[in-house]
Amino acid sequence: MDFTLDDEQQMVVQTMRRFADRELRSWAADADRAGKPPDKLAATARDLGFYLDAVPADADGLLDGSYSHLTRALRGFELGRGCAALAALLETNVEPALAVGAWGGAEAKRALYRSLASGGLAVYYHDHRGVFEIEADGAAVRISGRLGPSPALGVAAHALLSTRELVALVPLDGSRRDAMTPSGWRAASWGTVTLDATRVPGELVLARGAAATDATATLLAWARTSLAARAVGVAVGAMEHAERYSHERIQFGQPIGTFESLIRLRDDALTAIAAARLMTLHAAWSLDAGDPGAFDAASRARVVAGDVVSRSTIDAVQIFGGYGFVNDFPVEKLMRDARAFEALYGDERLGRVLAAKAV
Amino acid sequence: MDLFQDNPLLSGVRQMLGAFAKQAIRPAAPRHDREESMPWDLMKLALGMGMTQTSVLDGRKKLTGTDDEADPKKPKSQARIGVVASEEMAYGCAGISLALAGSGLACSPVARMGTEEQKQEFRRLLKGLDENGRVKVAAMALSEPATGSDISGLKTSARPDGDHWIIRGSKQWITNGQSASAYVVWAQTDPAIGRAGVRGFIVGRDMPGLVPGKKETKLGIRASETAQVHFEDVRVHKDMMLGVGGTSEGLADTKKMLDSTRPAVGAGATGIARAAYELLLDRVRSGSLHGTPMASHQHIMFELAEMQMEIEASRLLAHRAAWMADHNLENVAVASMAKAHAARTAQMVTTRAMVLLGDEALEPGHPVEKWYRDAKIYDIFEGTGQIQRRIIAKQMIGQNPT
Repeated sequence: MDFTLDDEQQMVVQTMRRFADRELRSWAADADRAGKPPDKLAATARDLGFYLDAVPADADGLLDGSYSHLTRALRGFELGRGCAALAALLETNVEPALAVGAWGGAEAKRALYRSLASGGLAVYYHDHRGVFEIEADGAAVRISGRLGPSPALGVAAHALLSTRELVALVPLDGSRRDAMTPSGWRAASWGTVTLDATRVPGELVLARGAAATDATATLLAWARTSLAARAVGVAVGAMEHAERYSHERIQFGQPIGTFESLIRLRDDALTAIAAARLMTLHAAWSLDAGDPGAFDAASRARVVAGDVVSRSTIDAVQIFGGYGFVNDFPVEKLMRDARAFEALYGDERLGRVLAAKAV
Repeated sequence: MDLFQDNPLLSGVRQMLGAFAKQAIRPAAPRHDREESMPWDLMKLALGMGMTQTSVLDGRKKLTGTDDEADPKKPKSQARIGVVASEEMAYGCAGISLALAGSGLACSPVARMGTEEQKQEFRRLLKGLDENGRVKVAAMALSEPATGSDISGLKTSARPDGDHWIIRGSKQWITNGQSASAYVVWAQTDPAIGRAGVRGFIVGRDMPGLVPGKKETKLGIRASETAQVHFEDVRVHKDMMLGVGGTSEGLADTKKMLDSTRPAVGAGATGIARAAYELLLDRVRSGSLHGTPMASHQHIMFELAEMQMEIEASRLLAHRAAWMADHNLENVAVASMAKAHAARTAQMVTTRAMVLLGDEALEPGHPVEKWYRDAKIYDIFEGTGQIQRRIIAKQMIGQNPT
C-alpha cells in the first residue's frame, strides 16, 4: 500500500489548488450573490481541461486511456475548497460522458460529444424516489417525470437519467424547464425539467433491465465519490477560514483559538475530515481498480462526507460567532452550501437501509 | 403551580399565539426571508392586538392578560408566559418573531434600571408611528465589532461635559439598528473601574451624531433587521443615563438581564425545532416510500422519536428555568442549560429534517431550509453555546457564573 501521489497527481493537486485559491474563492461570494456563475468561468475552466475531461480524445475530448476517479477525487477536494456551486458546474459533464462512453452506441456518442464540444452541459440525474414512468414505444421509450432540482439543469442540453430499469440520454430541448436559485450552491444554474411522455429514441437508451441496474450502481458510485470529495473540500475550506479567524479574534484577553472548547471543535472536525478524505480516496481507488467493493465504499464515503461537511460548516459559523452569521464573511455561505451534499441522489443512509432489507 | 402542565393563562397564550403564528406569521414568512424585509404590516396588526413594542416596559402584556401579583414573594407566571409566547411565535417564524419582540431587548434595561421619568421618555420616543408610517421600534446597542461574547471590553465611551455625556463609538449586530426610534446604548463612563463603569443611555433617533450604519445580510432571521449604529459625539443629557443614584451595578445588571431572557430565547429555538418536526411528521403520515408507508420505516420514525425527545427536553428545561425565575429562585445555570440545549436541538432537528426530505428541501423557499438557517443564530446570540457552558461550568465549581 502506498499513499504517495505520483507526479501527475501532484501536478493536478497543485494546479487545482491554485485555481481554487486564486479564481474560485475570489469569484465565490459575487457568484453567490448574483445567483449565477461568472462569465469568465467557462473560458478559464476550459483552459484547465474541465468539461471535456471524460470525453475521449478521438471525439475531440481530453481523455486518453482510462478515466481516473482517484485524480478526480483529488481535484474534487480542491474544487470544494474553492466553491461548491462552481465545482458542481465543472464536474457536471463527467457522469454523462463516461456513461455514454461505456454503454452508448455511435449515435449517443455523436449526440453528446458534439454538444459538449460546443460548450453544452449535461447533467446526471437518478430517480431515487422511484417515481419516473417509462413506456416502451417500439425501440424508443417515453419518459414522464420531473428531473431535479439539480445543479446545471437550468442550462444543460442533455440529462443522463437512471432509474431502476433504464439508463438513457435525454435531450432537453423542447421540454419544460424551470430555472431556480436555491439557498445553497446558488451559482450552480439549478433547474428542473419536466418530461411529459417525452420520446427518447432507442439509440439514446444506454441500458435496460438488469443491465440498467448494474449501470446505475456504477453511475451512482462515480457520482457519490465525486460528491464526497467536494464535500470534504468544503469542510476543509470551512475549517481553514475558522482557523485563521480564531487566531485573529480576541475575546477575554486571548485569541479565541486558544480556548480548549474551540480547539476541540476544530480538532474533531479535522479528525472527521481525515477519515472522510481517506474513505473517498479509497472509494475512488476501488473504482479505478475495478474492485466490486467500490459501490459500497462510495456510498459509505458519501455518508461520512455528508456528516462531515454538515458538522464542519455549522461549527465554522459557530467559531465565527456573530460574524459567521453575516455574508461579509465566507462561512455562512458554506453552511448553506453544505445541504446539497446530503440531499442530492436522496438520503444515503435510507438507501443503505433499503438495500440491506432487500437482500 | 404545577410545572408539568399549563395553567389556563399559559394555555390561553399558547392557543392565541399559536393561531396567530399559523394564520398570520407563516404566510408572510417566505417573502420577508427572501426580501430581507421587516414585517411592518404584521407589526401594525400585532399592535392592534395589543402586542405593543413597549409591553416589557409597561410591566404587563395586554394580549396575555395581566399577571401583576403585588406581593413580591408570591410566584408570578410572567417568565413562563414569555417562554410560551416565544415558542409559539418562533414556531411561526423566528425572524418575524424577533421583529415583533425585538424592542423588548431595549425596554428591559429601562424597565429594570430606569427612573419614572426615563420610562416616560422612552414611551414618548416609541409612541405613535414614525415618519414612514411604521410602528416605532427600539434598539439595544451593546455589542461592538471587537466585543461579542466578552462584553466587558466595550470601546464605546461616554465622557462628562457639564450636564451632558458625550457618547462616541460603533455598535454591531444591533437588532432594529437602522429603523429604531429609540436606542439604549451602552458605554464606558470610567475605564479605570472597568465593568462597573459601563452605563446605559437612552438616545432618541433624532440626536445629532447618531448614524445608523450598514444593514447586514444574514444567514437567517432575515425578517429582523440587524445593523451597525455609529455614535459620533452624541450629546445626551445626564438624566438619560440609566441606573443613576447608586442602585445599578452597571454592566452586571445588563448581564443579569441577559440571564432573565435566556429561557425565552431557548423557547424560540424549541419553536423552530417543533415547526420542522411537525412538517416532517405530517409528510411521513401521508407519504409513501417505494410503495410502503413512510411511517412503517424505523429509519424515519426513530429519527422523529429522537427529535421529539429533544424537543420535549428543551421545552421542559426552558419552563423549569422560567418557573425558577417566577419563584425568585437563582436560575442562572438552568437558564443557560435551557438556552444551550434548545439551540442544539433546533440545529439537530432542522439538519436531520433536511436530510430526510432529500432534494425536496432544496426547492427555493422551502420552510425547512429556512428554519435550518434560522436555527443557527440561537447558538450565537444572547450568549453563544460556549458562553452558556462557561456559565454552567463556573456555577458547578462555585465561581460567580456571570
